[in-house]
Amino acid sequence: MSSPVTVWRHHKSIKNYLGKKGKIIVWTKVFVAPAGFEHEAPYPVVIAEFTDGKRIPLQLVEYEEKHLKPNQKIITVVRRLGKVKLDRVIEYGIKAKPV
Amino acid sequence: MKIKVAGIGLTKFGELWNKSLLDLALEASINAIKDSRIDKREIDAVFVGNMLIGKIAGQDHLGPVVASSLGLSAASFRVEGACASGGLAVHLAIQGILANTYKNVLVVGAEKMTDASSNQITWALMGASSSKERKAGLTFPALYALMTQAHMQKYGTTRKQLAEVSVKNHYHASLNKKAQYSCEVTTEKVLNSALISSPITLFDSSPITDGAGAVVLSAPTQSGSINNSSKGIFITGSAVASDTIDLAERDSLTELKATQMASKKALEQAGVETKDIKVCEVHDCFTIAEIMAMEDLGFCPKGMGGKFIEKGSSRLGSKCPVNTSGGLKACGHPVGATGVKQIVEITEQLRKTAGARQVKDANCGLTQNVGGTGATVVVHVLQT
Repeated sequence: MSSPVTVWRHHKSIKNYLGKKGKIIVWTKVFVAPAGFEHEAPYPVVIAEFTDGKRIPLQLVEYEEKHLKPNQKIITVVRRLGKVKLDRVIEYGIKAKPV
Repeated sequence: MKIKVAGIGLTKFGELWNKSLLDLALEASINAIKDSRIDKREIDAVFVGNMLIGKIAGQDHLGPVVASSLGLSAASFRVEGACASGGLAVHLAIQGILANTYKNVLVVGAEKMTDASSNQITWALMGASSSKERKAGLTFPALYALMTQAHMQKYGTTRKQLAEVSVKNHYHASLNKKAQYSCEVTTEKVLNSALISSPITLFDSSPITDGAGAVVLSAPTQSGSINNSSKGIFITGSAVASDTIDLAERDSLTELKATQMASKKALEQAGVETKDIKVCEVHDCFTIAEIMAMEDLGFCPKGMGGKFIEKGSSRLGSKCPVNTSGGLKACGHPVGATGVKQIVEITEQLRKTAGARQVKDANCGLTQNVGGTGATVVVHVLQT
């Protein structure tokens, strides 16, 4: 559970990753999720490689099964991360969607 | 390097609801001290390998918790390096002996995992990963699933080959009374078990385990009260290497560079080569991990780990049996204890006291203990 100041600090870095284009290197579908992600399971997570050669792990959203393959093109988007109680700060972060 | 393994102790591994972390640590420690026949007052340092207890039970400061419970006022330390905490504790204890700071050291690895829910444990284990990985909703099965997918894509490794790791290690565990799951499984059972993170299934994964292992290490010049049965068992190589905490940042997803670096150094220290190893315990937290370990340690060429296991090249009776204890998969994986348990198992093999799982002519063994997805790897070489 992230504190408000941690969320605030993390949100400042989102712009560095937004709208980046890349491709899937490998993917997996998570069936047993960690706390905060249970409601989303099963969900795919990929290692994406961007045009600058950097690689990061990202949850894949707005996908179809046919998109779960190496070299599938993706773009980064901002989405809500996990699920928090109503009295907590909602955390946003970078995810990927197929293009 | 020549560090004597003077004594060993190991608890049963499993869901041990009637025992606390301290109960387990003390049981293993007392047995190791008794086995060494060293007066406990001669132990001048205690190293405790543990990863999770601070997070799941709020107990930190574990060095003096264990030392004082043993009635010792010796120097005491808690060592944390994710699932390599036990191996790191052994390595640091050795450095203390080599520096002539300590003569007799107790190393105990202990973990109490079943008091927490599986969600809590999954969350706590992810402390060994990067913040990017946590924010992506990854888990350790998922991280190893990504490595599995990469290995399958690059080398054509099959689900059946992965399953054979589990089948083999369950067979070995069936010969080990201290194993958590001393039952054999079939290839079909592994393949048809529930998906945790595709393509990793429940039976590709090591379990949640309570347990502890302990060793008493001594400077080789120590004489007198050494147990005859342990006479001549030495750690002759001990090395640690690190890699990026974030799996995605590595050049390769199909190998652990830290294993390659640590094993090279440990083997050089010991003056032996991979072909001299007669038995080894490797970190099979997931089935792909053992396949990659075989390749990274040089038991088979890169990409051939699947075929190596499929041919039975690491089963009891082969040239170099791997994970005779049952490994993490079937003996169990109390994370902070695993690295110490591996030393205990190899010592048993070199002493020729491993019973039904004894490897014939075992005179040189190796352990590989991994933290995270390979950000920390500890390798030890033991010889008679």
